[in-house]
Amino acid sequence: MPANHYDAIIIGAGHNGLIAGAYLARAGKKVVILERREMVGGAAVTEEIFPGYRFTEFSYVVSLLRPEIIRDLELPRHGLKILPLPSTVTPMDNGDYLAAWPDHEPTRREIYRHSPRDAEAADEYGRVMARAAKAIKPVLSLVPPDPSSMSWRDMVGLMKIGQYAKSLSEKELYRIAKLVTQSSADLLNEWFEFDPLKGTKSASGIIGTFLGPHSPGTAYVLLHHYMGEIDGAFRAWGFAKNGTGGVTAAIAASARALGAEIRTGASVKQVIVKGGRAAGVALENGDEFHAKVVMSAADPKRSFLSFVESKHFPDEFVEQIKNFRVRGSSGKLNLALSELPQFTCLPGETPLHRGAISISPSIDYIERAYDEAKYGQFSKNPYIDMIIPSMIDRDMAPPGHHVMSCFVQYAPYDIAGGWDDTKRDAFGETVISTIERYAPNIRNIIVGKQVITPKDIERIAGITGGNIFHGELLLHQLFFLRPAAKWADFRTPLPGYYFGASGAHPGGGVMGAAGKMAALEVLKDWR
Amino acid sequence: MADIIVIGAGLNGLVAANYLAKAGKHVLVLERRALAGGQAVTESFGAGFQADVLHAGGQLRPDIVADLDLARHGLPESTSEPLISLHPDGRQLRLTADSDSETLASIGAFSKRDAERWPDFVAFMNAAAGFLDAAYRTPMPRLPHVKLAEGLPLARLAMKLRGLGARDMFRVIRALPMSALELTEEWFESDGVRAAIGAVAVHGATLGPMSAGAGFSLMHNWLNRGGPGHRRVENGIGGLANALVAALKARGGQLRVSAPVEAVLTDDQCARGVRLASGEDILAPIVISGADPRHTLLDLVGAPDLPPEFVWATQSIKMRGSVAKVHLLTDGAHALPSGTLVVAPTVRYVERAYDAAKYGRTSLEPYLEITANGPVVSIHFQFAPYALRGAEWSQERAVLERIAIDTASNALPQLKSSIREIKSLTPLDLEKTYGLTEGDLNHGQLLLDQMLFMRPMPGWSTHKTPIDNLYLCGAGVHGGGGISGAAGRNAAAAVLRGK
Repeated sequence: MPANHYDAIIIGAGHNGLIAGAYLARAGKKVVILERREMVGGAAVTEEIFPGYRFTEFSYVVSLLRPEIIRDLELPRHGLKILPLPSTVTPMDNGDYLAAWPDHEPTRREIYRHSPRDAEAADEYGRVMARAAKAIKPVLSLVPPDPSSMSWRDMVGLMKIGQYAKSLSEKELYRIAKLVTQSSADLLNEWFEFDPLKGTKSASGIIGTFLGPHSPGTAYVLLHHYMGEIDGAFRAWGFAKNGTGGVTAAIAASARALGAEIRTGASVKQVIVKGGRAAGVALENGDEFHAKVVMSAADPKRSFLSFVESKHFPDEFVEQIKNFRVRGSSGKLNLALSELPQFTCLPGETPLHRGAISISPSIDYIERAYDEAKYGQFSKNPYIDMIIPSMIDRDMAPPGHHVMSCFVQYAPYDIAGGWDDTKRDAFGETVISTIERYAPNIRNIIVGKQVITPKDIERIAGITGGNIFHGELLLHQLFFLRPAAKWADFRTPLPGYYFGASGAHPGGGVMGAAGKMAALEVLKDWR
Repeated sequence: MADIIVIGAGLNGLVAANYLAKAGKHVLVLERRALAGGQAVTESFGAGFQADVLHAGGQLRPDIVADLDLARHGLPESTSEPLISLHPDGRQLRLTADSDSETLASIGAFSKRDAERWPDFVAFMNAAAGFLDAAYRTPMPRLPHVKLAEGLPLARLAMKLRGLGARDMFRVIRALPMSALELTEEWFESDGVRAAIGAVAVHGATLGPMSAGAGFSLMHNWLNRGGPGHRRVENGIGGLANALVAALKARGGQLRVSAPVEAVLTDDQCARGVRLASGEDILAPIVISGADPRHTLLDLVGAPDLPPEFVWATQSIKMRGSVAKVHLLTDGAHALPSGTLVVAPTVRYVERAYDAAKYGRTSLEPYLEITANGPVVSIHFQFAPYALRGAEWSQERAVLERIAIDTASNALPQLKSSIREIKSLTPLDLEKTYGLTEGDLNHGQLLLDQMLFMRPMPGWSTHKTPIDNLYLCGAGVHGGGGISGAAGRNAAAAVLRGK
């Protein structure tokens, strides 16, 4: 093959692009993965923004990464090490806290301390959610069939789903139907009474989604976060050694070992179309790469509205992509700290500092945070999910020092008047003063801070709208509607052009399912 | 002795009773109040002060009108009214399903492009409503073990959906879980047009135009109204119930008013009749309740007779009414244009009105629907949550009346000085007087997780209950709510199938 000629080109070296490339290379294809930035990882990167302090810049925890991908690509051999993230603690306004551990008994005792009723309900709730997550999971690993089609492949797909549904019990089926449609507030109000417990659980229902916990559909997002599986344990969250950059580094190493080529600093400008087929890509610098197959692991807007001229797609498809919702709703504050923050409710250094710390005192707190965002402001009292990576992996910060990763919602991409430096500073200040209410020394121990708005996510990680899922996990953007009706099977209306990113089925998080499934569909079509 | 007792002479109870009487059953309908009609009543609050109390308009489904031959029994005519959205700057946006030139010109004043798209939008909404109508006519079996006889109608429904063509099929599926804002954004650029449609979407629901799932409630309301505006019933909405009562009597059925049912009598998990508040027992082998599911099951049957998990599911039905009504008797000089007048100038306005309800407060700037009938002006007020926080409805009534009148008068300057008498109905009144638990007009919110095979609750979409021979026919079950009679029709069919 001449230089710059490949079997397959993958656009974007985020986790999905790397996984797709690795699977294609594993099948013996000559693959190149083109990355715009100088580093691989996409939104799963670890960067040393301040010397000695390594930030998990965007994505910061792992749980959803599919176990079969870890096995197939032998990621542990390539350096993947997942450290447990053992607990979640919710500081309360009265100086107390609510904690949860993976172990059942201490968690039960802890909840009992606040609400005996909830302690009893929590057991059953946990079982029900785990069962629902397990029951819905097989559907997520199916290529979504097109319900309007009469082709054998789609009919077989629909029948498979029907048969699968029949195999579920009545209870499971209704539970899933409700979880897919209801609000997380309604779900949790049915089960629990204790506000910090409900607030913390409801937060999983809004992550990456421009909706409040009272909005229907958020229970599904909550369930999505329940699908995490580490070492076979459901609902387990972990932190990768070296941060999420460690995950993508391992995938990249695996891909390279399988023979895939990765080129950084290779910003794709356009997909080359010849004879009605995708035939390669042209870079911003004029270089061209040619291949039989091109797959985009960028977000849907860039993949279909920017890389390819609209004339190559039917109007209906373009209209759907234009209508695809990619409303960024979250930001981040990454902090370099000279010492451990002292939370009023957690003096000193405790095992709970190795887990997540969640500012989510109640469902109403989060709903009010949403109210401000829907009118175009960042939340004055935001939901914050913090972890202190240096407590889990000492290599993340200089000895005695710490880094803290704070995921913040809501910060609307379309903030009134647009984001600028002043607003970014104000946003960072709001987050710090919110944390300060629970950890009064925070301000004095900051030696470096990085404030990331949705606009920055777009600018740095290249995700249109800055939505962490490349498109919200809304019911009308899932399964056979993700990213567009009739094109949820990782193919696109342009032959030879495939789509394998978070904006495809089954959606976002460091999951990798889209990249893997897309690669397998490419191989199915290979002639 | 009656074969079947129907609890409640609301439209659904009367429709069910008529279908059953038509099938040759001896039916007795028991109504708590002194007049039949339930929510669809025209009542007098004093001399010259007669109003359609809860609903300014409505229509029974055409198949019901035909099946029950209601035209012969005096069913009043109804006419479609335009929806007129009132704007603070005096502009009026007129919306109708006919896309007549007046409508298009009115939309065109807000946006030329929106006026061009209006006929397509109406066509889409009609197709979506048509699909929903078909879904409401299809029996919803228990999942997942669907028998062949139950599966065929479902397959027909699926074919109907596919029959819309791929484009509209996906549009309908997508629209159901969308927010009204998202949906209207895809069609219209003018905030005024989006807001007016968003208001139709949240009418009667405790949702805002930005809430996911308002696409479904928009289709539902569009279906029941037959377009954006109400269908006004000539001489009052009570005429619908009167025709149904006349038809019932002609078919040999009986109606007893002022006969409140206190309990459903059961014997070994099987209904055998009812006990009236007067202590009188009336026995019948089948009992059908038009009351809402929660009231029927938890109050009339009682939790001790039901499986605990079922009780929990019943308690979890989301009712949460947030509609209040304020009726005004004026001297006639209110100068209201005719039509369904709406105060919902912007999407944010309606959303902010809903925000208040989330936290148990009455909207300071509410979304209103105002209709006039001669000198009487009726205001539909959203949002006034049943469950107020830090206040009681006994005191809040004055607040509600003041906000309603001030807001309406801002849009309609001559209204205020014309007012002679006020009669308001808080959500608590809707519960106490009209028997609507938590003041929910739909006997359960129209949410995706409470529709079709999940209405009134998962596993019980067949109109049956854990009590044998006790059926549900009210707005809270499959086919309801709204003024349509669909739930009553479906329940009667279920009873007849069950025999």
